Amino acid sequence: MKRRPSPNPLQRTHPLVHVPLLILAGIFTLPLLWLIATSFEPREQIGKVPPEWLPRQYYIERQGAPITVTPPVPFEKGWVHVSEWSPSKYHGGKVTSFLLRPRDVKTRIAPVWQNYPEAIRALSSSEQDKQRPLGELLARSSMPWTPKSDRSKSVTFLSYLANTLLVALLGMVGTVASSALVAYGLSRIEWRGRSALFNVTLATMMVPFPVLMIPLYGVFRSLGWIGTLLPLWVPAFCGGAFNIFLLRQFFLTIPSELSDAARIDGCSEFGIFWRIILPLARPALAVVALFHFLYAWNDFLGPLIYLTEPRTFTMALGLSQYQSQNGGSEWHLLMAASVLLIAPVVALFFVAQRTFIQGISTTGMGGR
Amino acid sequence: MRIALVFSCLLWACAPKSHEAGVRHITYWEKWTGFEGASMDRLVARFNQRERERAGREANYRPIEVEKVAVSSLEQKLLIATAGGNPPDVAGNYSFFVPAYADKGALTDLGPLLAAAHIERENYIPHYFELGVYRGKVWALPVVPASVALHWNKQLFEDAGLDSNVAPRTIEELDAFAEKLTLWQVRLDSGDTVVERGYLPNVPDDRKRLIQVGFLPNEPRWWSYAWGYYFGGKLFADAAHVSPNDAGNLRAYDWVRSYSERLGVERIKRFRSGFGSSSSPQSSFLSGKVAMELQGVWLHNFIEQSAPGFRYGAAPFPYPADRPELANTSEAEADVLVIPKDSKHAHEAMEFIAFVSSPDNLEDLCLGQDKFTPLRTVSERFWREHPNPNIALFRELGSSPNAFAIPKTGIWNEYNRELTNAVDLIQNLSEPPMRALGDVAERMQAAVDRDRKTLLRRGEP
Amino acid sequence: MTGASARRVRGLLFCAPWLLGLSVFLLYPLAAALYYSLCDYSVLLPPVFIGAGNYRELFHDPLFWKSLYNTAYYALGSVSFGVLVSLMLALLLNARVAGLALYRTLFFLPSLMPVVAGSLLWMWMYNGESGIINTALRHLGLNGPAWLTDPAWAKPAIILMAVWGAGHTMVIFLAGLQDVPSSLYEASLIDGANFWQRLIHVTLPMLSPVIYFNVVMSLIGGFQVFTQAFIMTGPSGAPERSTLFYVLQLYDVGFQDLRMGYACAMAWLLFGLILGLTWLLTKGSQKWVHYER
Repeated sequence: MKRRPSPNPLQRTHPLVHVPLLILAGIFTLPLLWLIATSFEPREQIGKVPPEWLPRQYYIERQGAPITVTPPVPFEKGWVHVSEWSPSKYHGGKVTSFLLRPRDVKTRIAPVWQNYPEAIRALSSSEQDKQRPLGELLARSSMPWTPKSDRSKSVTFLSYLANTLLVALLGMVGTVASSALVAYGLSRIEWRGRSALFNVTLATMMVPFPVLMIPLYGVFRSLGWIGTLLPLWVPAFCGGAFNIFLLRQFFLTIPSELSDAARIDGCSEFGIFWRIILPLARPALAVVALFHFLYAWNDFLGPLIYLTEPRTFTMALGLSQYQSQNGGSEWHLLMAASVLLIAPVVALFFVAQRTFIQGISTTGMGGR
Repeated sequence: MRIALVFSCLLWACAPKSHEAGVRHITYWEKWTGFEGASMDRLVARFNQRERERAGREANYRPIEVEKVAVSSLEQKLLIATAGGNPPDVAGNYSFFVPAYADKGALTDLGPLLAAAHIERENYIPHYFELGVYRGKVWALPVVPASVALHWNKQLFEDAGLDSNVAPRTIEELDAFAEKLTLWQVRLDSGDTVVERGYLPNVPDDRKRLIQVGFLPNEPRWWSYAWGYYFGGKLFADAAHVSPNDAGNLRAYDWVRSYSERLGVERIKRFRSGFGSSSSPQSSFLSGKVAMELQGVWLHNFIEQSAPGFRYGAAPFPYPADRPELANTSEAEADVLVIPKDSKHAHEAMEFIAFVSSPDNLEDLCLGQDKFTPLRTVSERFWREHPNPNIALFRELGSSPNAFAIPKTGIWNEYNRELTNAVDLIQNLSEPPMRALGDVAERMQAAVDRDRKTLLRRGEP
Repeated sequence: MTGASARRVRGLLFCAPWLLGLSVFLLYPLAAALYYSLCDYSVLLPPVFIGAGNYRELFHDPLFWKSLYNTAYYALGSVSFGVLVSLMLALLLNARVAGLALYRTLFFLPSLMPVVAGSLLWMWMYNGESGIINTALRHLGLNGPAWLTDPAWAKPAIILMAVWGAGHTMVIFLAGLQDVPSSLYEASLIDGANFWQRLIHVTLPMLSPVIYFNVVMSLIGGFQVFTQAFIMTGPSGAPERSTLFYVLQLYDVGFQDLRMGYACAMAWLLFGLILGLTWLLTKGSQKWVHYER
């Protein structure tokens, strides 16, 4: 699509346009900043009224060395009973407690990096595992290819990550490969029934997932796939209506002379597809791949319905299960875990910013 | 012993591959994580050990190996997995899901298996065994029972000038105690703040901030459906008729509503949003924000983990002064083991269930979870070693004639959602109990009739 | 073997994956759902045909209507505010302001957030006691509601979160704005049109196909709202069922109660509803959507 720089009405207006823009940008960015701020705060800062933006560490000095403590909020009585339970909770096993005067408790501004390993640990499903050092814990992670009966492995954050990546990457490969094949069949070969199939394809774009989720559950049940990751990526290998449509439109813009020349040279139909069309369609393929990855990474309803065992959970599902079980007050860990879920998406955006913006601009979609 | 082990290892190593596959793996889903889960982990390890030893002794024995998987929202995942044709071999569910699961054909009838394993109904406290019985069949076996009682914070009692060893016996006393235990921060005209006790109806709203509450019905929020029972109400009048709006229930929810009226709906909500989860030091009770709470036998363990040294007492939940026959009312549910329909190893699963249900093992399990056992006879060691000072009280409550359980109905899920919503409406002062519960009665009667029709269609009596 | 039949074989071969997917993962499930919607069906036991019983019950089910109302409320709210805000952002950014790319990134990033993470974040921000939203309101001298636990505010709260994620609609508008031919603006300048006149007579008509597209897509998405409510207010649509959305109710009936026949009836009605709405919008749009050709 060609863009002409258009002298639109606002262009000549004064720089005051920055005022609403800055305010709005502030409003849009604030939640993200709050997310990051909370993820670095110690437990006792969570739920403070009014909330604080900078993480603060509470500590006492014992024999010259600072010991981080988690005092109750607010200090009400003359003496406070301090139970040291986080973050050393998982290392020592037992809670140590001190009896202190409020004035002995000092504070300093310091991010609590430990929230991140702590969140990773908290997302692991077994209680004993939570007491292991992080490296050992992650090394024990059950992977999608670990046999079910392997008892030396356990479900950890890394298992969720591996499951999510597996579903997203396999689905991405599948959807790109199959949608491109089908789009080729629907655009560059002329055959009877083609337009009928294309019309059916267009019509199915209107069917939302919730309509299909229950009967699909029946299909996956007869295939024996409930409780496995298969329902989340295998269907991608059969193509998706929207992606087929998108790629078909793109393929139609490629001049037919290119194929004809190749055909004269004795190139097979698949050869034309593989050697001529695909390389030319790279930008469109990237859009399809990116959006599918994003969709799979963010998907929640599918995993919720088709996955049953923690070892198969994706990140989104694992996080929500942790929240429903331990929610309430562990906001610092929930926010740290959320940052971990978001970070890859944000990184992907900065790497592939162009594909994103162009993809959305031309297709009106975007991994939702 | 060691020779036998070496020998068996040799045998094992020399045996063809198929023999290695001779281990019978079974999958066991458990809802508990935390200390409850850890206590079950120990039994699973013991069972696997026993099986390996037996395989060491008997050359042809194929040992069973139980793999325990902690599954959150198990009651849901188990249904999805069973319906999806990929269930675990055995699962630890809650007793109140048994009827719904049974009606949907998601469970294996344990009757014949139990008989073969010599597990007798007579050995159990009747109330708890009955929890697994539905439509004349045994679908589930209780392993860890629970009951609930009023817990109070002794420190806060003393601060309020109350005798910290005396709990309220009647609802009226509870209300009076609650008033004394409610604290506010009040802003004076001078700008200073002072702390005041009571409900302070004459202090304008913008002058006072709640800092402590004597009692909050529905905190924790697990039992919003159950308050009627403490006032003589029932959720079912008989098997075919619901009665969420009977006199006892109406009285109970009028009482629940009175707390919202006294404290203010918005204020309660905001106060509540500062509570952490029940097992954390930030929970409503352990953080000292709520002085008296209905809590389960497990609270003792939460305290040991999160707030060692916390001083509290436990007593039967109060009864209305004019209904003394309702003393010692308590909800009594149990964790049960079930074998899902289409479990590929029902017999192996039963062996595991039988192992867990042997008196010694059951006592160990319940000790580890800080609860009492569902068995009639209890060893002396159990009482001696039990960490919970109030354990006898909880067992008495569980065996009390006023112990109640969630009604056995296939539509409990729906009924529970309806009641939860109705209690929401009542507590928010959006609808009076009469109307909210009347709506529940109407809808749930329709659901019961529908359920009946479904069962009839299927040819069930 | 040349000509039509060979091409047909080749075409079918290329389309084979889709033919398989179309039949196994789409057409068969749709047909099965239609059949089950006429049955009393709980997966583990064989379905019993009951005719239109499920549909009849559905129309008398207050929860069905409640969920439909909530969903319509959410869809209308999120679509109108989402489209308005994103259109406004796009109009502001359509000038060649310095730092355009940065602004665009800032507005767009939230829409990339995985819904689960976004929901957790907003849940924390909506906390009645110590959430930053109520703290900010307190600074303005306002007493904020309890948001997600207040039946009157729970839906607006979820809508507000949706507006925060509208950056992706903004990008589409931005692309549409840049395609407005400059000659039209020049002409309007010569005619002496002011900003509002240009907006109403040039920009919006030229943008109408994009607006139409965004409204339809957001509406279809709005009717499928699930995850936000599931995470933030729980599977049964608390408080007081004010966030019991259609798909949430569908999930409860299907996967908690295992009343699959009833749920399939709900699914088909949802499908019909979305088709009907799209048709209505398309019909109505002919009056205001302006195509260049």
